[in-house]
Amino acid sequence: MKSLWEKIGKNEYYVAIFKNPFTYVTGAVLLAILQIALLASSGNPWGVSGTFTNWGAWIYEALGGSVDKWFYFSSEGAQNTLNNGFLNDPGTMSNLGIIFGALLATLMASQFKFKKIKALRQVVAAVLGGIIMGYGARLAFGCNIGAFFSGIISLSLSGWVFGASLLVGAFIGSKLLTKFFM
Amino acid sequence: MKEFTLDCMGEACPLPLMKTEKQMEKMEVGDVVIVQIDHSCAMKNVPEWARNQGYNVEIDEVDDGEWEVIIEKTK
Amino acid sequence: MSEEIKTIQRSSSRAPKKPKKSQIPMGLGVLLLMVIIGIALSMKSSNLAMFWIFGSCFGFVLQKSRFCFTASLRDPIITGSTSVTKAVLIAFAIGTVGVTAIKYGYFVNGLPIPGMSYVVPVGPATIIGGILFGTGMVIAGGCASGTLMRVGEGFAMNMLTLVFFVVGSLIGANHFGFWKINFISHSPKVFLPDYFGWFGAVVLQLLVIVCLYIAADKWQKKKLGA
Repeated sequence: MKSLWEKIGKNEYYVAIFKNPFTYVTGAVLLAILQIALLASSGNPWGVSGTFTNWGAWIYEALGGSVDKWFYFSSEGAQNTLNNGFLNDPGTMSNLGIIFGALLATLMASQFKFKKIKALRQVVAAVLGGIIMGYGARLAFGCNIGAFFSGIISLSLSGWVFGASLLVGAFIGSKLLTKFFM
Repeated sequence: MKEFTLDCMGEACPLPLMKTEKQMEKMEVGDVVIVQIDHSCAMKNVPEWARNQGYNVEIDEVDDGEWEVIIEKTK
Repeated sequence: MSEEIKTIQRSSSRAPKKPKKSQIPMGLGVLLLMVIIGIALSMKSSNLAMFWIFGSCFGFVLQKSRFCFTASLRDPIITGSTSVTKAVLIAFAIGTVGVTAIKYGYFVNGLPIPGMSYVVPVGPATIIGGILFGTGMVIAGGCASGTLMRVGEGFAMNMLTLVFFVVGSLIGANHFGFWKINFISHSPKVFLPDYFGWFGAVVLQLLVIVCLYIAADKWQKKKLGA
């Protein structure tokens, strides 16, 4: 049995598809095709961070809070999504799918390893980075996917403005990184 | 002909690349650095950066999800 | 790779290779689990199953190609490398053509254009949000998709980022009323075909993408000389 996996591990087609990384351009073409297919079949392009907000609302409500009075969740669509619950939300399935898809890709390449947090500065970076990303995404109606990638291919000016702002932010982030986190 | 080891285990992008860049500046022509990484993106961008610089590069997968990128400063 | 690469001399002995255990069986196990989840979801609603499949494909492709929107904006600044930037621009060009074709198809048939909820108001909130997001993604080492992908790869740091991304989203949603009243409600939604026509908008956008591609290429040559 063991030699079977070793044999598969050396098969040239296995190596090409599962072991070696794709080029960035291959990734770009595949992601663009998936975006188009998703729009054609669901009526919307790809989004990620809107769902994070719903996760937040569900957790908040599970902890005893209430978002009923929040303006953000006041629309009928938002209310329906929240009332339907975690397991009936397409965005949740899409996001969990990303996690599982990446896990599958890593395991099939035999490269999975649990990576522990090594230093306190990583904790600070993760917490700080996470919070300002989440906050920023709410102001701009999305993240690098919904507001940037999907925005631009939807021919929305907001996508380009958001992209330019991301570049400014990336510059600030790089300076902070060099100064505090290296 | 000195050899250095750069431990970037557990470091997220872009730190492995930034550390490698810094290390290369300190080294002399002919020196070799072994960059130890376990970040799957760094395993692509560190060698790519080094090749763009014209250095000799070799990647060794030492364990599941762990790599050693061996870079020789050639100029 | 050419022969010379093999000739790097290293004095220290190579790390002793542990007998590696293939993770392919585990991978196949995860694949089976994903199929079972997909079937279970499809019994509930085919829409859920479809999003599950799309998400999985996105995750797989993102991980395989190490596609990273953070790197596309950060690497030009930190190292001068623009290979990811150029790939993102290629994705934008292909996406623009395909998405516009679908939208135009609905438009000429007099149907409501799909995906218009992604054409959002552009104004100060877009810029502030973008700068915050851009700073955060570089510090945390991953954007929204990148964070999810790295959670799947087993990075504890990104799991922590995800938790606080959710927290930040919730704070943002809580303050949303303030931003809406003061900024967003005064900001227009700009759908390029409304200003340049369908054909004009696509041509203009593709031209911009080509210019950015050339600029990115020149930037890398200037910074790295290659």
